[in-house]
Amino acid sequence: MTATDAPPLRRPLSDMPSALAALFVLTVRQHTHGRRLLVLGALYLLPCVLALVLRNLPKPAPAEALEFALIFSLLPHGLAPLTALLYAAGVVSDEVEDQTLTYLLVRSVPRWALYLTKLLATLCVTTALVAAAVAGLYAAIYAGTPGFWDEVLPRAGRAVAVTALAQVGYCALFGFLGLLTRRSLIAGVAYIVAVEGVLANLDFVGRALTVVYYVRTLTLRWLDLPPEQMRRCQEVWGMADLEKLPSSGVCVLTLLGFGVVVSALSALWFARTEFRVKTPGSD
Amino acid sequence: MTPIIEFDGVSKWYGNVIGLNKLTLHVPAGVTGLLGPNGAGKSTLLQLATGQLRPSQGTVRVLGQDVWDNPALNRLIGLCPEQDAFYEWMTGHDFVRTCARLSGLGRRDASEAADRAMDRVGMTEHMNRAIRGYSKGMRQRTKLAQALVHGPRVLFLDEPLTGTDPVARRDLIEAVRGLGAAGCSVLVSSHVLHEVQALTPRIVLLHRGRLVAEGHVREIRDLIDKHPHRIVLVCDKYRDLAARLAACPDVNGIKFLDRESGLLVETRQPDDFYARLPALALADGVALREVYSEDDNLEAVFKYLVNK
Repeated sequence: MTATDAPPLRRPLSDMPSALAALFVLTVRQHTHGRRLLVLGALYLLPCVLALVLRNLPKPAPAEALEFALIFSLLPHGLAPLTALLYAAGVVSDEVEDQTLTYLLVRSVPRWALYLTKLLATLCVTTALVAAAVAGLYAAIYAGTPGFWDEVLPRAGRAVAVTALAQVGYCALFGFLGLLTRRSLIAGVAYIVAVEGVLANLDFVGRALTVVYYVRTLTLRWLDLPPEQMRRCQEVWGMADLEKLPSSGVCVLTLLGFGVVVSALSALWFARTEFRVKTPGSD
Repeated sequence: MTPIIEFDGVSKWYGNVIGLNKLTLHVPAGVTGLLGPNGAGKSTLLQLATGQLRPSQGTVRVLGQDVWDNPALNRLIGLCPEQDAFYEWMTGHDFVRTCARLSGLGRRDASEAADRAMDRVGMTEHMNRAIRGYSKGMRQRTKLAQALVHGPRVLFLDEPLTGTDPVARRDLIEAVRGLGAAGCSVLVSSHVLHEVQALTPRIVLLHRGRLVAEGHVREIRDLIDKHPHRIVLVCDKYRDLAARLAACPDVNGIKFLDRESGLLVETRQPDDFYARLPALALADGVALREVYSEDDNLEAVFKYLVNK
């Protein structure tokens, strides 16, 4: 038999989990090394420090107002999507830029699995970061208050779940953006401002296309907010009638479904795309 | 001989720029040198052969398999890329072990394979240091180690000796020779001809994306009938020797190399000339000290071929 006639090779099934686990760990380690984590850590620390300062003024700011401003507004509109953008948009482009993608492409991991594994690792890292930020903010705002252990802590747990679901949508979206364009950071910031910022605040059907819409709906449905806080959220967000909002199940399925579909499309895109790594001899 | 690497009518365009131009090439088992100046298409060829790029036209096969999107084949090949890129925060051993795990080896197997690979390239002493502190030679050795850590059958080395010091160069050459002797097929690219010459006599020459020649250095040289073979003869009485040679019908030209006390002889019938040499060496008063052919030097072959 000549080499030309050789039958297709089959890779041992036992190889795959080991390779994928190694890729997952490698990606997590990449994300936790370098300056990006330090910058984001400092960025997350600022609102926590601000909350502590405002809570300790002679005339302290109301805890509910801080919770609304920092946890229900700043985090889902700014910090959470920015975190997802910084990490997910670079899932592939950072490897291309650093010229290390070659080491991954010549390994025995299918390309689609390579992308999905790196995205999953990125999702885990960004979710952990945002979860830490939520926990830190709740602690900074409510620590020492009477209902901290009974009411606030369970609410913080549910808020973490909501932000984790938001990260699914954001990471899938920004991962795809990172494949589409080299200027993914600019495009991502423009998207965050225009779509998740402006569009999500307009009371019309188009806001159902934003991640923030489902995050807000889940916040209203899951977080068991005190009546005053509930009224404030509904009024500011233009979501007065809960009956008109999608159910929790629909919100979860929409965010997860969006994440799965966009990630699958991105993985197929990645599998079919050539990535030409610059060599010293090339232009 | 069954080809290990097959390019059939392969072209690769980058927009308007052509990387490879209708290349048909069958590389047999063993060590083969891939030669050409910068921009000749060597890296494009290696990226096509390792499935990083898809041919615009034609087919590329390695071990009889299509290479694009073939992870099972990747288990059998290794690539030492040209770019000097690493996960700099890792130690050398960590990097090579990670590459082994990405190839599907379990934790313990990967660690042991990394130990062996680092040992093979002479990096055991430094393998627990961060890569960012490595010299160029150490980085090249580490790149070679990651390429062979999973025991590939075919190894692609893109300019593996670039920027290395003489000691690292010698060690890397020995390592590649050892791999070839151990049954691993190696395709090694370089634009420095003597590097490849030190690795293997079998070469493939590329220029501007086209195959210029392939085969043994001497076979390639035989293709060039425009240019006579140039043989240097060194002896004390080289002027007397020149007089004798002038009478030989297979000698086309003689040039004095006064500094070397020798002659540069041009001939179009090298076999006849070499057959005549023993008699010349034994002739009274000649006493040849040294005989070598400039045309066995790849530099000369390459110049002839790209200029013809």
